[in-house]
Amino acid sequence: MLKARYGVGALLALALWGCSPSSLRAPPGELRINLGTEPPTLDWALATDNVSFLVIEQLMQGLTRLGPDLRAEPALAEHWEVSADGRTYLFHLRKGVRWSDGAPLQAQQFVYAWRRLLAPATAAEYAYFLFPVAGARAYNAGQLHDANGIGVRALDAHTLEVRLEAPLVYFPALTTFMVTFPARADLIEKYGDAWTEAGNLVSLGPFRLEEWRHEYRLVLRANEDFYGGRPSLDRITGYMVGEESTALVLFEQGILDLVRLPPLEIRRYRERPSYRRKPALRGYYYGFNTGLAPFDDARVRRAFAMAIDRAEFPKLLQGGELPAAYWIPPGMPHHNPAIGVRFDPAGARRLLKQAGIDPAALPPVRVVYNTEQVHRLVAELVQAQWQEHLGVRVELENREWKVFLKELTVSPPPVYRLGWGADFPDPDNFMNLFTSYSANNHTGWANPSYDRLVEQAAREPDRARRQALYDEAQRILCEQDVPIAPLFVSAINLVVAERVKGFEPNPMDIFFFERVRAE
Amino acid sequence: MIRYALWRLLQGIPVLVVVATLTFALLRFLPGGPFEREKALPPEILRNIEARYHLDESLPRQYLRYLADLARGDLGPSYKYVGRNVTQILGEALPVSIKLGAVAFALTCVFGVGMGLFAGVRRGTALDRVLMLLALLGVSVPSFVLGAVLVLGVGLGLGWLPAALWEGPLYVLLPAITLAALPTAYVAQLTRASVVEVIDLDHVRTARAKGLPERVVQLRHVLRNALLGVVTYFGPLLAVLLTGSFVVEQIFAIPGIGRFFVTAVTNRDYPLVMGVTLLYAGLVVFANIAVDLLYGWLDPRIRLGGPER
Repeated sequence: MLKARYGVGALLALALWGCSPSSLRAPPGELRINLGTEPPTLDWALATDNVSFLVIEQLMQGLTRLGPDLRAEPALAEHWEVSADGRTYLFHLRKGVRWSDGAPLQAQQFVYAWRRLLAPATAAEYAYFLFPVAGARAYNAGQLHDANGIGVRALDAHTLEVRLEAPLVYFPALTTFMVTFPARADLIEKYGDAWTEAGNLVSLGPFRLEEWRHEYRLVLRANEDFYGGRPSLDRITGYMVGEESTALVLFEQGILDLVRLPPLEIRRYRERPSYRRKPALRGYYYGFNTGLAPFDDARVRRAFAMAIDRAEFPKLLQGGELPAAYWIPPGMPHHNPAIGVRFDPAGARRLLKQAGIDPAALPPVRVVYNTEQVHRLVAELVQAQWQEHLGVRVELENREWKVFLKELTVSPPPVYRLGWGADFPDPDNFMNLFTSYSANNHTGWANPSYDRLVEQAAREPDRARRQALYDEAQRILCEQDVPIAPLFVSAINLVVAERVKGFEPNPMDIFFFERVRAE
Repeated sequence: MIRYALWRLLQGIPVLVVVATLTFALLRFLPGGPFEREKALPPEILRNIEARYHLDESLPRQYLRYLADLARGDLGPSYKYVGRNVTQILGEALPVSIKLGAVAFALTCVFGVGMGLFAGVRRGTALDRVLMLLALLGVSVPSFVLGAVLVLGVGLGLGWLPAALWEGPLYVLLPAITLAALPTAYVAQLTRASVVEVIDLDHVRTARAKGLPERVVQLRHVLRNALLGVVTYFGPLLAVLLTGSFVVEQIFAIPGIGRFFVTAVTNRDYPLVMGVTLLYAGLVVFANIAVDLLYGWLDPRIRLGGPER
């Protein structure tokens, strides 16, 4: 009896062993990645987040695309011309490009997509990316009712004309972004909201959507007819494993090939060949509410920015962060590492004294951040440094994310943390954040010279002159007025299975899988 | 009996309306809205979004609109998952949670009641002490610890079972064990306590005196009476298990609805929060009715639906 029982136990164990997860390993030609979460939508006019963007980038293409050096390269547009006044772009579409259902690409599909993006009823959050186009903002705001008033039209099936409100030298960088991709009126009308589901979604990029099991898995299949040539991979499967440590277990088991590393695990993987790191186009900063004493005095803000030893952040966070007192990050055109205040505690104390501040008499400085471990670590370090180097008392407060965001718009705290990741690799994307009219400027700071410099730089085609404009604007932002204290530039940390060849992360955190192989 | 069940179901409707009203009010009191973003939106775009979701209307109007849609069975669009409505989202995720929850519930019934019965009838023995120590552990170890231990130990270390994902029947085991651990331990404690109370009662002694075999005495006379107290707990437990668990789904990467109880609130996805809350409330109402019906079967003294005919 006893023996029989053990026998059954052994059989059961064997049966379980036979079904061990190693049978789940991907065959050659299939890449398995962790998306982390469900993409909120694959409608490229409505998507706003990184996960949706990652998937859409594999499915679709725009007029231009980012090359490995992050310059805008021809994609669906074979070439383009800019008028002498810099206001009109003429895009010549590649001929013979077909959607995955065989329909040809036509310029009218861009016109439809842009009108749809801008239509008030679409309620697209990122409609503002096309606000530089003539009439776009007015149409989106409901002041212009005729879509023909928007500065985009198809001259013929393969020529798209775009008129801008004002010259914009980085316009071809904007058209790499998903919200500008073409769309099919016939399919969106036919399927309604369900046009993005597997089976309905038609695309023209290197991959097409084969399966979308919501909240679990998404499968992409190579597009045999991709105009750039069929990709090496046959399939990409993206699982939505929310827990990073679970994803790492699945990576260890060979089930997932590409996984983001949680900060605490970086130490363990740093020496392995599977580890990849890349500084991202993502800045982390502390903002000051310039309407509140003592931060209504630029000298005080400068003193606080000077009293932070930024070299401590990478030691603390261990994620390959780059200490940064500048705002335009490396990897972005017109980055200048020489800009920014230096760590100078004695100088900082002198500045406070000049401003008539007695640190001991100052009420505690309130620093508010959203609840997350990394933000708490950063806040505690800054707190310790300000207390040590300036002799001020600092109080930390944390908030739930949405509560925090509400507070930033309604009554920004004296000091708050925020970050900014690039949407497209042009410095304007970073610099116009702190113009007096930007919804993202929570500091209350307004400087007309800064606004003017940023506007000028956006339409300045000459590289050297553009550099000078951004240098001057950055000096106002980071050295002179200091409404923000940039702290560091974040990095991307990944592990990639050794069977995967030809994959490198890039600073925009876009995954290019076209040339990737899986053995 | 059927009339009684129907009557109780009808009584559930006002309960759901109250739940809907309270949730609606609480959500609007919560600071920070669904479209508050790290990358702030220009005002004209915010206006378009608010118009699309009727968030520009007065609160009472939004409330009436919600109730009217609800009466037609429409739970509204999700604010986060653009283009999908709450009914679709719950419809896809609920079957997964039900599968996982049903297995966990079965584990709880079998092992919880079994352990309690064994321990109770062998009160004071070493077996009793070991089982109750296990139960104490089960009650005290949080599921995120147990889940992580199982993923790392059984999934990665021993490789006996899949560490995570949702690909087939074997994939249900580790998460179901994690989900069932706490209720199993609690049910074991409850059952043991009731068994200890019942075991010395007159009717049990009579049954033994009649010469019934011990197994029959334990199952028919001890357990059946002892279960009365335990079954009360089964109602809400079933609702809890069937609606999934954020922690377990997160750790094991399971596409159930438990995640929405947390993420829908952090996203301020009002319709989705309302949807999961109402679903949960509905299940609680339903499970409690089921428990009441079960009482009648367990204890003939309890008669449902007024005087006997």
